[in-house]
Amino acid sequence: MGFRFDRAIPGRGWAVYTDVSKFRFPVGRLPDEALLSGLATGDPELAVGFVRRFQHRVYGVAVAVTGDPQLAEDVAQQTFERAWRHAQIYDSRRGSVTTWLTTIAHNLAVDAVRSRRPEPVAPEDLDAILDVVSETPERYALADEASSRLRAAMAELPPEQGRALVMAGIYGMTAQQVAEWEHIPLGTAKTRIRTGMGKLRTTLASFQRGDNAQ
Amino acid sequence: MPSELTCEELREIGAEIALGVLPGRQRAGAVAHLEECADCREYVRQLTFVGDRLIGLLPCGEPPVGFESRVAQALTQEAAGREGPSRARGSGFPRRRALGRIRPQVAAVSGVLVLAIGFGGWAIGTAIEDTLARPAPATAGTGMLWGGLVSAGAAGKPAGEIYAHRGSPGWIYMTVDLPGNSTSHDGKVSCLLVDKNGTTVRAGEFTLRGGRGSWGGPAAVDPATLAAVRVTAPDGTVLARAHLAAGTDET
Repeated sequence: MGFRFDRAIPGRGWAVYTDVSKFRFPVGRLPDEALLSGLATGDPELAVGFVRRFQHRVYGVAVAVTGDPQLAEDVAQQTFERAWRHAQIYDSRRGSVTTWLTTIAHNLAVDAVRSRRPEPVAPEDLDAILDVVSETPERYALADEASSRLRAAMAELPPEQGRALVMAGIYGMTAQQVAEWEHIPLGTAKTRIRTGMGKLRTTLASFQRGDNAQ
Repeated sequence: MPSELTCEELREIGAEIALGVLPGRQRAGAVAHLEECADCREYVRQLTFVGDRLIGLLPCGEPPVGFESRVAQALTQEAAGREGPSRARGSGFPRRRALGRIRPQVAAVSGVLVLAIGFGGWAIGTAIEDTLARPAPATAGTGMLWGGLVSAGAAGKPAGEIYAHRGSPGWIYMTVDLPGNSTSHDGKVSCLLVDKNGTTVRAGEFTLRGGRGSWGGPAAVDPATLAAVRVTAPDGTVLARAHLAAGTDET
C-alpha cells in the first residue's frame, strides 16, 4: 500500500458553508479520507456525513471502555473534535480513518476512566467484552477476514491470556494492575500479555503473508 | 549514545509498549532503544497493529438521540469560528456538560459573543437540521466536482477517482489505481489541474506504489473554469486523466 495523505487540511479559516447549490454528490460515495479532508470546509452536509458514518464505531468503543453512556457520549464527541483539529496529520499509510478514529476514542476513553475511578473495569464487564471479541457467530461473517481470524485467535487463547489482553488492550490496564486484579505475580501478568499478543501477531502476520488458504 | 536496553529486553516489554500500558519510566528507556533499532521498531509496529485490530473488534453502539446533529453542529461552528475575525479564541466546540464550569465573568463575555455571532450559529443549526431532515442517503458538496480517472495507457480503463470542492481555498482528494503492470508505476507523480483554456497548474505531488496511491490537499477549485485533471510521471508522461463535472442535479 502506498498511500500518502499529508496536509489534507492545511488551512483553516475556510468558508462556513457555501450557498446551496443544485449540484450534489451522495455522501456515501465519498471515500473516508475525502470525507475527512472535506470536513474543514465547514460544509454542514459533510459534517453530518462524517459523524453519521463513524458515530456508531466511535461510540461503541467509548461505551465499551467506560461502561458509562454519559461519559461515552462526552468521549465520542471529543473524538470527533480531535479528529477535526488533527485531520491534517492523518496518514493513510498508517491505517484507515476508522482505525484512526477508534484509536483516538480508545485513548480518550482510557484516560477518562483513569481520571475518574481507581478500578478501570467491573468483572462482569470484563467477561462480557472478552466474549464479544472472541465470538465468531454468523453475524460477523461479513466482517473482514483479518478480523474474523483475530476473533478466532482470541477464542483459542487460554482464558487467562485472553483476559490479560482485554484488560491491557481494551481497558488500558498496566501489567501491575492486571497482576493485582488477577492476584498473580507481576512477571506472570507480563508473560500473559506478551504471549497473548505474540499469538495474535502470528495470526495476523500469517494472514498478511497469504498463508490463509481460501 | 547507546540505549541500556537490549533487543531481548525490549521484546519482553514490546506488547506493553504497543498497547500503551508501559509505565512512563520504563517507556522512556524503551523509546531510547527504539530510536536506534529498526528491527525492534518494526516489531513494535506489528504489535501496535495487533492492538489496533483488537480495539476494532469492539461492537458498534447506538449513540443517544441528537448526538449526530449536536456533534455535526459543533464541528461546523468551529469552522465558522475560525473563519471569523476572532480566531484568537479557543475552541468553539460546545461542551455538553462543561458549560456548568464556566466562570461568571467569562460567561458574561461569552454572552456578548453569543449575541454577536448568534445569527451565524442559528444559520448553521438550521443548515444541520435541513441536512438531517433530508431522506437518507444524505447528499453533500456545494459545488463539489467529481471525475473518474481513466488510464492513458490501458485503453481508457478506470484508474481511480477525484473529488474537488470549491471554497477559499478549495480542496482536492484523489485516489489512483492504475491498471496493468502496476509495478511499472512506482514513484512520484504530479496532479495537474487543467482549465478550460488548456492552462495547467500543478496542485500537488505524491507517490504511487504498485500503481496505487492517494493524495489530498488545498487547491484553487473554480467550477466555472476547472475542466480536467491529469496524473503525470516526472517526465511529463500522462498516466491518467479525468474530466470533472458536477454531480447529480437535484432540482
